[in-house]
Amino acid sequence: MNAIAQPLKKANRLKTSSLNNKMVNDYWTDVFNAKAEGKLVCWYEGVAINPLMQAADIRWVHGEAWSALLAARNNEQEAQTAAEHRGYMKELCSYARTHIGCGVLAQNRGVEASGSSFSDALGAGKLGERIPAPDMFISAYPYCSTGQQWDEMLFRLFGKKVPIFNISVPWVWGNKPDAIYLGGAEFNEAKQYMVKQLRACTKFIEEQTGKKYNWDSLVEIMSYTKTAGRLRMEAMELCNAKPAPASFFDWTTSLAPVNFIPGGPGIVEYFEKTKVEIVQRIADDEGGIPQEKYRLFWDGIMNWNKIGWLANKFANYDANMVAGRYTHMGFWHEHESIDLNDPLEGMAVNYLVCPINLSAPLMIEQIIKLCKHYEIDGMVLHAARTCRAFSNPQYLIADAVQKRLGLPVAMIEGDMVDESFYKDELVNSRIEAMLESIEARKRVGIAA
Amino acid sequence: MKNYVMGVDFGSTTTKTVILDLKGKMVAACVASKGSISAEGVQVSMDGALAEAGISRKEILRAVSTGYGRRMIDIADQSYTEITCHARGAVALFPHARLVIDIGGQDSKVIAVGGDGLVSQFAMNDRCAAGTGKFLEALARAVQVPLEEMGPMALAATEKLTISNMCATFAETEVISLLAEGQSKPSVLGAVHAAIASRTVGLVARVGMREPAVMTGGVAKNKAAVRFIEQALGAKLLLPPDPQIAGALGAALFALDEVTSPGAGIDEEDQADDAMLIARGCATKPCQKPKEVPLVGPMH
Repeated sequence: MNAIAQPLKKANRLKTSSLNNKMVNDYWTDVFNAKAEGKLVCWYEGVAINPLMQAADIRWVHGEAWSALLAARNNEQEAQTAAEHRGYMKELCSYARTHIGCGVLAQNRGVEASGSSFSDALGAGKLGERIPAPDMFISAYPYCSTGQQWDEMLFRLFGKKVPIFNISVPWVWGNKPDAIYLGGAEFNEAKQYMVKQLRACTKFIEEQTGKKYNWDSLVEIMSYTKTAGRLRMEAMELCNAKPAPASFFDWTTSLAPVNFIPGGPGIVEYFEKTKVEIVQRIADDEGGIPQEKYRLFWDGIMNWNKIGWLANKFANYDANMVAGRYTHMGFWHEHESIDLNDPLEGMAVNYLVCPINLSAPLMIEQIIKLCKHYEIDGMVLHAARTCRAFSNPQYLIADAVQKRLGLPVAMIEGDMVDESFYKDELVNSRIEAMLESIEARKRVGIAA
Repeated sequence: MKNYVMGVDFGSTTTKTVILDLKGKMVAACVASKGSISAEGVQVSMDGALAEAGISRKEILRAVSTGYGRRMIDIADQSYTEITCHARGAVALFPHARLVIDIGGQDSKVIAVGGDGLVSQFAMNDRCAAGTGKFLEALARAVQVPLEEMGPMALAATEKLTISNMCATFAETEVISLLAEGQSKPSVLGAVHAAIASRTVGLVARVGMREPAVMTGGVAKNKAAVRFIEQALGAKLLLPPDPQIAGALGAALFALDEVTSPGAGIDEEDQADDAMLIARGCATKPCQKPKEVPLVGPMH
């Protein structure tokens, strides 16, 4: 491959993902208006338990989503610095450090939400400081020990005065003789344990709101979520076309509607339009990048500070990042398990099989299936410096895809929201070496 | 008349240039210490090689660059990563090689090569330079032993000490502490080289050990580093006559490929066969000893 000066290529991003920005802005505007409108605010991290809050008309702040937004809007520095000064070192999960930093800034501010709107806070570069303080915490964090303590840290930061409810998410070992993906005695026990806790959580919510829990509202919300989940998966599955009409970076941009955006007609409409655009691109032979020579898989979490930049970088390499563990193995991907007659069990299933909560053998089988479906040429494994949970199985994943599929891999370091851990030339040399390896194999007729 | 190809490896601490004729015979190789001004180091290396070959720049038909500075070399028609070039160069020198261990100035890499000579897997050091040439240079200053004497001194170690730190800078602190405790320089240097071997073995484990293994890069000139790595791996390492030029040689061979491929307009029937022979059988036609051309000034 020739890395001498060439005209720069840009990713051909999905047009519909621009609708995502409005949904995200509208959602955070509602959060910033919560106190003025007399709404309670719940801070939580980890899996998407927000339907539980939405059904009770509680506004919610998802720690990772909030930190990612700050990073994407270049507003993260103040919060991260505040957390470091408080004693939370740089090696700590940068999501947690950013969100905890927001808590520190709120404490320093010393007043409740000042009435600053989301747009005013954004304009002032004070997003971290002005996020409404919590009226409750609900913790439901799978696998990651930092995540499981994150809400506890915030609880202490707010003087142990804000009520907190913990949901313990069992890890899916999958090592019993009858264990299969989504099945086996152990998985079913874990599922029932989760359902029991989710039901108990609704009792906790009743105590906070003083109102009977609105189960009809939860069913309605989950019906939209189920449909949105299905449409998203269908649209992604169509990307086995060549060229793939969209990339992992498009799907990452489109996570909000299946993560923290309220379940409603809006999220269904979003993915209906996305799927229409995908189908049209396939009909027009239009790819997610100008020229697709390589099809890659992204293992690991996203660099939120660099999402657009990375999309263009790979477009410039003629490499379409077609799929990834983060987008394709989470966020209501198991929508079929949601039974609207009793949605808690389907919710429990999706929480249990999120991208970091499966044992490596189960996870690897799902990844192998994805690599085959999308006809992948190589894999990029992004080891986020401060996310051990996502990085832990990566050597095993790399080894498996190399041995079973013959895929070349490139391991790179970065981080979710702390860009100081990202070094461009180190990434370039590894990615380019992998692409050279793929190219050499193509020339001699060695297919993956 | 353009009768030569050039490969330039613009590394983090040195620049290496190799010139081949169109039959693949190495006619010059030059290693330049980069000094503090990268562009000068590159020029010195290329000029040194051209002078040794007795040719001018105009006689270079095609040039390929590699190394971290590969995009900065204006003479280069193409660039490839060091992984690809080191593998190519090592296999050219040792056709049966299945593993390449390259430890350079600031990075180390392990490359698994398939039976077809193609890169199958690779692993590189994480952002820290522990276990690389920089590590040795820093510790040479700490123990106040010239760099070239560190290896022989380490081989004379009588006690088995351990440098526990993964960080090059903290390892320096640890070395100073050991010396202050009265430990001998040979034993301390033995520990330093054992640390290099330990880092290398970790990288090899990621790729999977296979034999025969070739060691390239400047650290391969350090007999103690080679000995400790061999002991850690439980295998003998193949060493090129000059291990520093493997990347530049690989780059030059890619340049040769590009001018001798069908449609390149060269009489390939005679030259391609010889090029393949030379490229694969370089061990039977020893490379000319490269001339080291240090820049005036500090190493870096």
